[in-house]
Amino acid sequence: MTTPKPKEGTGDIATFNIQHGFAEALVRGMRSSFLQDQDYHHLTQCETLDDVRLNLTETDYADSIADFNSLNPTMLQKAAVDKLVTEFKYLRTQTVEPLSTFLDFITYEYMIENVMLLLKGALSGRDINELLEQCHPLGMFKESTMRSIPTFENSAKGYSDLYQTVLVDTPVGPYFSKFLQESAMHRGAHSRNVLEEVEIEIIKSSLIKYWIEDFYMFVESLGGDTATIMGDILKTRADTNAVNITLNSFGTPLNEPAMRSSDRKRLYPAVGYLYPAGTSMLADVSDEDELGRVLELFPSYSAIWSIHASGTGDKSIDDVFYERDVQALELAFESQFHFGCFYAYVKLKEQEIRNLVWITECILQQQKDEIEKFVQVFSNTAPWRGKTR
Amino acid sequence: MAEVPPTRMNQQIFKGKLKAAQGGHKLLKKKADALKVKFRDYAKNISETKSGMATDASSAFFSLTQAEYAAGNFKQKVAEGSMNARIRVGAGVDNVAGVKLPVFTKYETGAVADNQSLGLVGGGKKIVAVREKFTVLLDMLIKLASLQTSFVTLDEALKVTNRRVNALENVTIPKIEGVLAYIGRELDELEREDFTRLKLVQGKKEQEEKEEMKKKEASKALKKPGKENSADITAAFDATDDEDVVF
Repeated sequence: MTTPKPKEGTGDIATFNIQHGFAEALVRGMRSSFLQDQDYHHLTQCETLDDVRLNLTETDYADSIADFNSLNPTMLQKAAVDKLVTEFKYLRTQTVEPLSTFLDFITYEYMIENVMLLLKGALSGRDINELLEQCHPLGMFKESTMRSIPTFENSAKGYSDLYQTVLVDTPVGPYFSKFLQESAMHRGAHSRNVLEEVEIEIIKSSLIKYWIEDFYMFVESLGGDTATIMGDILKTRADTNAVNITLNSFGTPLNEPAMRSSDRKRLYPAVGYLYPAGTSMLADVSDEDELGRVLELFPSYSAIWSIHASGTGDKSIDDVFYERDVQALELAFESQFHFGCFYAYVKLKEQEIRNLVWITECILQQQKDEIEKFVQVFSNTAPWRGKTR
Repeated sequence: MAEVPPTRMNQQIFKGKLKAAQGGHKLLKKKADALKVKFRDYAKNISETKSGMATDASSAFFSLTQAEYAAGNFKQKVAEGSMNARIRVGAGVDNVAGVKLPVFTKYETGAVADNQSLGLVGGGKKIVAVREKFTVLLDMLIKLASLQTSFVTLDEALKVTNRRVNALENVTIPKIEGVLAYIGRELDELEREDFTRLKLVQGKKEQEEKEEMKKKEASKALKKPGKENSADITAAFDATDDEDVVF
């Protein structure tokens, strides 16, 4: 769609290491920075956040939290994300094409979030400097773009200038203009009105959809193991989004019969194992029973759905999706000669940060019963490793 | 007390006052009791609501944690949304034994919820749960606010009423009773004085009469002792001679 085809592939078992061996070695070295089973065990035993801080000083997070006198989940999250961003940026500087484009693709997801945040925030008259602080650091734009953003005035005009002169030039600008174009065709509205009228989550979902499609096309053109492994991850991701969008649209205007085919269907990515047969069926689904009947046709999803439908409450569908993602990402990380491990590294780190926040929040709110309910990364006791706890 | 002239009219006036004071005391006592019952009621309600809120609040905030685990940080997106209140609090008035208590009621403004598709690509169900839990918490908060304000108002009213009851009971009524007793005493005193005076006057008169009788007898016996019996007794009675006796 927007990204030019890579000039060369990733190389295979014989040639991969010529270009990308060092970067891969780096990312494999970072395998040791993940929290171990025993770290999680120690963390979940903590009574106070000070204990957590003490325990974290024995992990790879020691440097990040060294300056903290006290600890709260928000600070920890910020520190951990900053650490991830530093590592990621270091990786990015060590890479050559096409791996650097691949890494850029990973950041686009966060950029989409940031663009949405900036536009919507500017639209509702928030201070743009404040908004910039809240942007996800992994999705930051080029220095020049970042510098020019705060120069725009806080008005309707300034905001449309912001979009037309700056955000269009960011890597995610094309997704944005594609969305606006489609919406304009669809409802004949001006771009400004679209932004005001359409819910932020729907715009974001559309942009993510374009991103997944674009990313998928890119990894397909890379070929080799990357196409196989990243393709699988992205397809699953697309399916997850489709199922989630359907499930979460129940009870919202998006589930109205008129909106189902016009708006909801457009949010389903045009890749994935559910596409096209599954997504076209999903488009007509109006409640959970019907969704269950559609998903029954797909063995991998019927298993997930049955956990959701049994409704025991232990595990929500989000947890199941996370678990399955972690499994796929761990596999991707542990195989060689492809780019999937970079994506897996970022995503697994994200899961780890989520876990840390979960653990600290549970300790903070005295919810010890719930503290084990997270998906451990690289756990020796994970169900897919065939060992029991 | 002393400045009240001890007259029968004042006695009547103070009797009326006493009656009014006692009636007022009775009524105020009733009001104080009613308020006290309500006060206890509210205190109980507040403690119940508060203890219920402790668990509700922690579960609401924990559900927020769960939702953030599933859907990422979405606070920002909520803040970006339109800031039209969907729920407002209206103030009404409840009347307990003549005390006006503020009552807060929640009403929906009818504004459309604009964050309905929050968490569309994950965690939507959790966010719905958060919304429900916080709505319950908000309801409880409004209830508690209403109870607390009523409680304070009621406390104030109860204090005033109790003060009035005590003032009537311990100051006003004894004072009036004192005045009444004083008037009664003074009046009795006056009566006794009158009585003695009367007695004295009567005694003197009797003595005078006796002396007169003696004189008459003596002169009769001197003049014509035979006509002694024919003398009319009533001749000696003169209707104008005697003073009126005033009691």
